[in-house]
Amino acid sequence: MSDRAPSHGKPILLARDIVNRFGKQVVHDKISLEVFSGEIIGIAGGSGSGKSVLLKTLIGLRQPNAGEVLLDGKRIDAIGPAEKAALIGVLFQQGALFSSLSVAQNIMLPLREHTDLPPEEQKAITAMKLALAGLQAATGIKFPSELSGGMIKRAALARALALDPRILFLDEPTSGLDPIIASGIDALIQQLNHGLGVTVVIVTHDLTTLFTICDRIAVLADGTITVDTLDNLLRSKQPWIHELLHGPRAEGARLGATTARKRNHGSG
Amino acid sequence: MSPQSPASSSLKIDVGEEGNQVTLHGSLDIRSLVEAKESLGQLLGKGKSATLDLTDLSGLDTPGALFLCGLRGKGVVLNGMRAEHKALLDLIGELELKPLPKLIPASRARQLVMRLGKGADDTWHDALDIVTFIGRAASLIGNSLLHPRSLRVASISRHIAETGIEALPIVGLMAVMISIVIGYQSVAQLRPFGGEEFTVNLVAVSVLREMGVLITAILVAGRSGSAFAAEIGVMKMREEIDALEVMGIDSMQVLVLPRLIGLIIALPLLAFFADIMGLFGGSMISLSLLDLAPLQYLERVQRSVDGWDLFVGLSKAPIFAFVIGIIGCMHGLRVTGSAESVGQETTRAVVKAIFLVIVLDALFSILFEQLGI
Repeated sequence: MSDRAPSHGKPILLARDIVNRFGKQVVHDKISLEVFSGEIIGIAGGSGSGKSVLLKTLIGLRQPNAGEVLLDGKRIDAIGPAEKAALIGVLFQQGALFSSLSVAQNIMLPLREHTDLPPEEQKAITAMKLALAGLQAATGIKFPSELSGGMIKRAALARALALDPRILFLDEPTSGLDPIIASGIDALIQQLNHGLGVTVVIVTHDLTTLFTICDRIAVLADGTITVDTLDNLLRSKQPWIHELLHGPRAEGARLGATTARKRNHGSG
Repeated sequence: MSPQSPASSSLKIDVGEEGNQVTLHGSLDIRSLVEAKESLGQLLGKGKSATLDLTDLSGLDTPGALFLCGLRGKGVVLNGMRAEHKALLDLIGELELKPLPKLIPASRARQLVMRLGKGADDTWHDALDIVTFIGRAASLIGNSLLHPRSLRVASISRHIAETGIEALPIVGLMAVMISIVIGYQSVAQLRPFGGEEFTVNLVAVSVLREMGVLITAILVAGRSGSAFAAEIGVMKMREEIDALEVMGIDSMQVLVLPRLIGLIIALPLLAFFADIMGLFGGSMISLSLLDLAPLQYLERVQRSVDGWDLFVGLSKAPIFAFVIGIIGCMHGLRVTGSAESVGQETTRAVVKAIFLVIVLDALFSILFEQLGI
């Protein structure tokens, strides 16, 4: 991914001096984050460091106590619902598939609400999104309660991709999945990033995901944020970052990531 | 797609002189797809070999790429594609695309037969389930009577408070209203015969024997039956029931039994309260329509009914409570994964509980008549 370094032009997503507070507890103290078009950025941080709150702020579900979020140059609260739906897609941690709709209907919902496409066209696009997310067409008629964990993530990803968003937000895309399926999801994210040119923001605990597919990593600790490439972060003296990247679990993940990167370079 | 920036959604199609050399300008995406399909479908569908020039194509999304893949499959040559568009086209082109499977609906007549059969089968299983559930609940109640220590007193008292005490205002109000309705109707019907003083008898007897307990039971079925089904249903959905099972705790013992016992204690008390309030409503009606002072009214009531009427009415309450509790809990435990099924089972629980309460009440009326009590 170093060969495809993001163009450091205008950021597609810009969070400026974000402050988030719950009562007296300050979760984010004037943090800023720039996301550039076409990159994969990982957001890491300990439990309770405010990863989910940051994600909610970035996608406009939460109004920060101070600061602003600019999406494609516009304040996120000034963007209309239809335009926002075409700009961002979100994969929620538990999938958040509508349990009363089939998988295909879940994917078709944004198409039906926000486009004037005839039903046949919607169905063809839905079938394509299913295949894009690595699901069989037959999965389309199943209901979310009939799906396994990995399939739920893929179906939710297909729904997040429904309107070809420019930024994809993924909340813990590999949590609760076995390593093989998790690597499959990692590979899928990378493939979508390459093929669709979609910008990806991943909130994750999964070190392998951070090491393997992220161009840059943002680490939240003590209310501040540190954003850099993995190589630079590895030299960081900040205690939590050091612990994260040099802890016992990190060594194994890094080893695996190196081989995975080599393999990717070989094939692509 | 109104609020989109217009520049990105515009697509211009230039047709060369030959008619088979087409150039696309602008963006081929989900918004311009239908337009592109219409014009290009006509141009390129004539069987000649055609070329599509994509040098000026600024934007391409997945539906657009899917369309271009389809054209390429039909032999249209795509020229001058940008690198990022080629990557997208390759990604889409490699997908194994199959149409969504269709659910072929059965014919009307067949559907009717199928629904009839399914309905009968469901009802049969339903009946079996109820019998099984009643059996389990009854054996648990019997067991807990033998070992009173196993009863969860705190839980039972909480359910008495929730199903009983909190329902007092609405039950009281309903009882007053019902006796007012009965009172008005009786006065209107009995006055032509000069027998309006029998209104008191009618109100007292119908409230004590039937209306008090029936209204209370229907209200509790709607209020607590639905609460039981929803509470237990959500617990089932979030695997809390499974967690209990794994800890070796019987979900019937901790969830169903306290609710059932709580309701069996609360409903007769509620019904008694409804009886009192019903008689109070009767005294209001007597005062305003018959000019009967409250003390005179009470004397009349004493002459027309006795403790036996009260007992006959209240004796039905524990049985109604048992049925409402059983149905509510049973449907709660039947919830499956989806949020929809919680709603479905709750609705079924309330409808079935009210239905059974009324059917049982009718059976009791016949039984008491035959027994002469």
